[in-house]
Amino acid sequence: MFDAPGPRFRRRVFWVSVVSAVVLAGLVALGLRQFAANGQLDPVRWRPYLTWPVWRYLLNGLWSTVVAACATGVLAMAGGLLLALRPNRFTRAYAEVMRTVPVLLLVYVMLFVLPSFGVNLPLFWKLVVPLALSHAASYVVIFRAGVESVDPGQREAGLSLGMPDGVVTRFVVLPQAVRHMTPLLVTQAVSLLKDTSLGYVVSYTELLFNGRVLANYNGLLIQTFIVVAFVYLVVNLALSRLSHRLEARRARTAR
Amino acid sequence: MGRLFVAALLLFVAGCAGGENVVPGVGGGKFAVLLGKAPMYTGQVTPGSAVDRIKKRGKLIIGGSQDAPLLSQLDPTSGELTGFDAYLGKLLAQYIIGSPQTELLSATSETREPLLANGTVDVIIQTYTITPARKERVAFAGPYYQSGQSIAVRRGTSGITKPADLAGKTVIAGANTPAIGAIKAVAPTARVVEFGSDPECLTALKQGRGEAYVQDQAILVADASKDSELQLVGEPFTEDPYGIGIKHGDAEFTKFVNDWLREIGKSGLWQDVWKQTIGTVVTGDAPSPPAIAS
Amino acid sequence: MSLVLEGFLNTVALTLLSFAGALVVGLVVAVLRIVPVPLLRGVGTAYVEVWRNIPLLAWLVLFVFGLPEVGVTMPLFWTAFTAIALYEAAFVAEALRSGVRSVASGQGEAARALGLTVQQSLRHVILPQAGRRVVQPLANIAIALTMATALAGVVGVVDMTRAAQRINLELAQPLLVFTGAGLCYLVMAAGIGFGARVLERRLA
Repeated sequence: MFDAPGPRFRRRVFWVSVVSAVVLAGLVALGLRQFAANGQLDPVRWRPYLTWPVWRYLLNGLWSTVVAACATGVLAMAGGLLLALRPNRFTRAYAEVMRTVPVLLLVYVMLFVLPSFGVNLPLFWKLVVPLALSHAASYVVIFRAGVESVDPGQREAGLSLGMPDGVVTRFVVLPQAVRHMTPLLVTQAVSLLKDTSLGYVVSYTELLFNGRVLANYNGLLIQTFIVVAFVYLVVNLALSRLSHRLEARRARTAR
Repeated sequence: MGRLFVAALLLFVAGCAGGENVVPGVGGGKFAVLLGKAPMYTGQVTPGSAVDRIKKRGKLIIGGSQDAPLLSQLDPTSGELTGFDAYLGKLLAQYIIGSPQTELLSATSETREPLLANGTVDVIIQTYTITPARKERVAFAGPYYQSGQSIAVRRGTSGITKPADLAGKTVIAGANTPAIGAIKAVAPTARVVEFGSDPECLTALKQGRGEAYVQDQAILVADASKDSELQLVGEPFTEDPYGIGIKHGDAEFTKFVNDWLREIGKSGLWQDVWKQTIGTVVTGDAPSPPAIAS
Repeated sequence: MSLVLEGFLNTVALTLLSFAGALVVGLVVAVLRIVPVPLLRGVGTAYVEVWRNIPLLAWLVLFVFGLPEVGVTMPLFWTAFTAIALYEAAFVAEALRSGVRSVASGQGEAARALGLTVQQSLRHVILPQAGRRVVQPLANIAIALTMATALAGVVGVVDMTRAAQRINLELAQPLLVFTGAGLCYLVMAAGIGFGARVLERRLA
């Protein structure tokens, strides 16, 4: 809706760019100076992160993070699908409640409440089950929106061709719904991967927890957590990029 | 983009290949000497008992810390675990299995009871204070060490010389540790700020997020050994006997571990371990190990 | 009992303040992502991607223990507030941007075709509609933010969850204590949902 940029507008864009570049460079310089003034840019403080043993330890953590995220994802999606396909008062209430209760609180329930009722799961599941319970609610919402995004005419057409209801759902509605849901599913996957950082609380040795142990050992708190944050960033960005590619490919083949 | 994905995949595989946090057999050279002196169990093993299970598995699974200096600290780069608790764990493994094969599962004060109850770990060796309340859920062998809650401040802090001085102050404590109750008992008006781990509490104290830090004396002594900014105030103001946590109701294994503790106490091995760990920062002779109730 | 009150008030205050902060920062970032200056767009995108893809808990730890190391010390509550507000701002920015985008194409072109200037079509056509469309997504972010404040308990702030956990330590009534805490969050979320519906109706 913008006009094609004229000379005056282009000049204005140029000057705004220059000014904001200067401001940005200033901010970065200020931050770096603050870091340097406190000795945080000292090469000695960063060199450990060029060595393999440190990375091996962090990548071990990343692996645990991925395992926990995958287990949670599978459980939560299965639960979400079950609940979404049977919309009734209970499933709706479940989605509403679980979307508002902090996962940390659920983790605490797992840690403190259930053991007194004789339910005592291994550490891994103490992290995965609360995450799955919480994320299942998000998946319900996503799946329902996905199914609703498919034109009802599609289902009617399928039924009028004499296909049984289950077949229509499976072969007509779901494939289209999945295509609509892909971006949301990726956002959810990223959020799930991030939530596994609660392993920090239950001392499941995932990435953030290993970062803490490492920082406690070498005393390089800032450096360790910046590196850990960077690993999360790379993994999650790769995840979203991957989905963009898949989506683009599917858009091509669908035509 | 494809290349990035492959790179990510490679990272995962690499991480996978690294494997579990299995602690390699023997500690530093000096610990190897202790290991040479360590006793080994030669008596009968009841089939199906905890000892039998551990022997068949070939390693002892311990719930403990990875980040407690002098007690149980992991060198993340070498996978080496050192400290008083860690060495006792290895010696116990030596006693049962005949080799110091242990695996450390990271536990916190919030997770260790569940870990024991469902059999994820064989024992908890983690500055685990024996209390009547805990005894209802956990069996304890020991005590193997006598400690107490102590107060630490930043060097140069004035106005805190005894526990009652904590009144009205902001005091840092580990989440879900006995320190919280201990603070409330001596200074009900103190404001408690909790952090999840000892190093976090320590960092918080140094950054001025509280005026004092209450923690087990052994841990504080170890912290102070690494950090000259930290200063201990007075003697411990509670008495906390540390025990080895065992699954509730397993009287046989509890007696087994107690017998072992008595044996290493008598032979002087206990004192040797103390000298190599806590004794490196605490001056004076090794204390005598606490008496073990039958 | 004072602990319950302290925890509850801290959670409410942290939620309200962080959300206000997230709205302000998120609005700025959304504008950055929309303006026709490539550099600023890049900055906006980078902000959103960096904040969104790193766990809040990592941000909190980095802020609480990291900032003092570079000479910036704030009280715990305000450190947690800053981290949560900046984190949620990324989500707010995305909600605002997609709100504007959902109207912009067709409606915006129509307004321009009728001879309205860019400013006029923004002011009279796009923003009012976008405003209505972003209420629900923003309410969802506010609810997510309420949940996120629980993480502040991990870095020392006595929030609802931390208070519940500490009370449980004393009372040993886990079921009661945690159900109560859960209900508090439910009530807050219901309040947000109600407010959003009222606001939506007002804007309609």
